[in-house]
Amino acid sequence: MGPAVDGLRQVFEESLGGGDICFVLNLAEVPMIDSTGIGLLVRFLASTKKRSGNIKLVQPSKFAVQTLRLVGVLNLFEIFENDDAAVESFA
Amino acid sequence: MPRDSTAGHPENELSELLNIGFPANPDAIGTVADAIDQALIELHVPEQKRLEIGLAVQEALVNAVVHGCDSDSSKEVRCRLQSDRNGRIVITVTDPGPGFSTDLLSDPKRQEDLYADHGRGVYLIRQLMDEVSFVRPGNEIKMWKY
Repeated sequence: MGPAVDGLRQVFEESLGGGDICFVLNLAEVPMIDSTGIGLLVRFLASTKKRSGNIKLVQPSKFAVQTLRLVGVLNLFEIFENDDAAVESFA
Repeated sequence: MPRDSTAGHPENELSELLNIGFPANPDAIGTVADAIDQALIELHVPEQKRLEIGLAVQEALVNAVVHGCDSDSSKEVRCRLQSDRNGRIVITVTDPGPGFSTDLLSDPKRQEDLYADHGRGVYLIRQLMDEVSFVRPGNEIKMWKY
């Protein structure tokens, strides 16, 4: 919850509205993800997958991975070590 | 697995470290969560445990502000941080709302709920903390970390 989630929601909505369906989300600077953030991620993941797109995660923190696993959504996402690998995975 | 319990802890043996009342404005949540984290740093709580407590506190504060108070800043949420002589941490978050029944909460890991955009907060709290209790009628949550 808060400005970070609000900002991400706005970016997703504008990008999806503009026709983008493939996203790389670098989480290297995100120490934790709360339930609001998780809800946002899975909702937009569903939206992109409906359009044959995806959201790839890059460098989530150990605690972020733990949190995603706790609520059972970790396996919904592909995770990469760097942005380039994530981008190439869309090719 | 944490347990939900209303079984009594000897509260008179708890030391109060923080007792913060704040208006139910979502913008205030970060400040209160930061104050809790700073107190945990001063208690030399290890980082992993601080992260787990911090996320549980964040979830409880959001529930209190958004669901307990409808984000009405004329209402007040109270957050207390206490510890006992064994170093166990207890955090209590209270709102003036009508409370809720935890029986109504579903398992967010059910296949049909995996893509839901809500319904994970209390589940996360229960997973992250060692003991969680809701005081009737459900407008106060008490969370223990050993």
